[in-house]
Amino acid sequence: MSISADRFWRENEAVLAEVMPQLQVQRDNFYSQPDWDVYQLHYTSADGMWLFSWLSVPKGDGPFPVIVRMPDYGSVHDIVYTSLRDRAVVMNPTYRGQRRSDHSIQAKYPGLLTEGIGDPSSYVMRRVFVDVLRAVDVLYEQNLAQIGKMAVIGAGLGGSLALAVAARRGVVDAVAANTPMALGNPLAFEPGLAYPLAELNDYLRMYPDQRDAAAQSTADLDPLNIASQIIAPVLLSVGINDNGSCPVAFGEELASLIHHCDLRVYHGASEGGGHEHAQIQMSWLSDKLGLG
Amino acid sequence: MATQQDLEAFSTQVTCPDDFDDFWSGTLEMLSGISLKSVITAEPIRSNDDVHVFHVTFLSLGGLEISAWYSLPTKGDGPFPVIVNFPGYKSEPPVRRDWGKKGVAVLSVAVRGKLMSSSEFNPGYPGLLTAGLESKENYGYRGVISDCVRAVDFLHSRPEIDPERIYACGSSQGGGLTLITAALRPEIKGGVAGYPFLCCYPEAMTMFQSYPYDELACYARAYPGDEEQTLETLRYFDAVNFAPRIKCPMVVGIALDDEVCPPETSYAAYDALTAHKELWLFPNSGHGNAHDYPGQERAWLENQIGLTAVGS
Repeated sequence: MSISADRFWRENEAVLAEVMPQLQVQRDNFYSQPDWDVYQLHYTSADGMWLFSWLSVPKGDGPFPVIVRMPDYGSVHDIVYTSLRDRAVVMNPTYRGQRRSDHSIQAKYPGLLTEGIGDPSSYVMRRVFVDVLRAVDVLYEQNLAQIGKMAVIGAGLGGSLALAVAARRGVVDAVAANTPMALGNPLAFEPGLAYPLAELNDYLRMYPDQRDAAAQSTADLDPLNIASQIIAPVLLSVGINDNGSCPVAFGEELASLIHHCDLRVYHGASEGGGHEHAQIQMSWLSDKLGLG
Repeated sequence: MATQQDLEAFSTQVTCPDDFDDFWSGTLEMLSGISLKSVITAEPIRSNDDVHVFHVTFLSLGGLEISAWYSLPTKGDGPFPVIVNFPGYKSEPPVRRDWGKKGVAVLSVAVRGKLMSSSEFNPGYPGLLTAGLESKENYGYRGVISDCVRAVDFLHSRPEIDPERIYACGSSQGGGLTLITAALRPEIKGGVAGYPFLCCYPEAMTMFQSYPYDELACYARAYPGDEEQTLETLRYFDAVNFAPRIKCPMVVGIALDDEVCPPETSYAAYDALTAHKELWLFPNSGHGNAHDYPGQERAWLENQIGLTAVGS
């Protein structure tokens, strides 16, 4: 890891440590089901930002395995949906700017990827990574369910967030990252990419004198920085036609740096392995979490 | 995974209300009484060598201001053929720059409730599917559908657009809205509806426990006495009832392992089409992730617009 990236993570951990989560839990009677309860969690992150998370808890006695599904790049993070939710605690946390976590910052799509990028101290995406660390920490504050093994999963930006959490939190037992966004990697600024990464080149075309500042703001977030710190096994999928989130060369380099990485390369684009991989991932997660 | 035989054997309980056409002609009449008041603002940061990108606003049902991304080719004076792109349920409308090089304009609509169009109506996701279900007049989708109609009105008002070459596409909710809008606006000359949502609500809400349809199941559980009224409202917003009213060529794309929009329900909308139609079935694919779908959609639209022959 670069000295700068190491400092970034240490400083943000320190910032997080100074903010109490102030966790508030509310059962959602409307969306709770006969076989699982749905909760709305509210808690604070760095800068005192209030964040929201969906949490579903199976009926019955724990401990339950946990799946944390990281949010992708978009305004909405789903209410919990996975066929495993009757056997596992599932958390879908949002980051600042997404709906329900937008009291102070309302993210724009496109737009968030370059919000404040002219200065590392104002670049919103740096705090987005902190927000999901806080979400995982909150899981250990709640008393709704005893939790067992933990998997973090995600696609696109959510894939990168899942990898970052696994690198920073030793409690993670498995990671499934689909087409993790190459934010922070120099290739993300190249012209000719599709959205969302194309937002970066849009910015440079508009503000060419900001190239160095933008590179500095994003560099610490490059998943390559933290790849070697991930101890948990990783299932990684990429699509050979993806030029908007995880170009295949980036995905292959990332996989090469992770200790235990099962890389799957598909003929898709940003959907990665699509339906085929979704089935593989479900089976893989069930195995890693002991869900049978 | 469903088979084509499963789809063909499926029969929906959805029927068309007697006053369906009156309800929608009344809604269109209300719309026609609202001035469009469109405003077009350049978005230089999103523009490139192929397209000029603009942020557009116009007024829709209830006087709500609706936004859209409008991409015009940089080369040529027009009038340009255009594709109106309807959004998915929870996703924000994309800036479409991929058609500019082909000389095709794109309007990507942020229906009410999307971030750019949420100042006066913002039920959220989940939330939209059940907002105002107590009556057809107040149901949120009356406004959403009106916003799509207004998008076509906007294009018709533009001198740079060829009014004879307006096409529509979208996936999931965008697929449902493609079907519905094509029924209400004969100015649309063809469309591609992928994995269409908004079809066969009574069945769709019980076939899988997946959102968004599960919002309806949650609503039914929360308000058990309202089920009859709820289903009555939804009859006016079911793509199956719009499908026979479509006069232009239409494609319906269905993933046979779709656990979000059950394939049987999407097929029912296809089956109800009476104009020229095509069915694309994608085995071993789920909701929105058939690898071949984007390429087929592009080829079909290029052919309809008159750019190339399919397969060339």
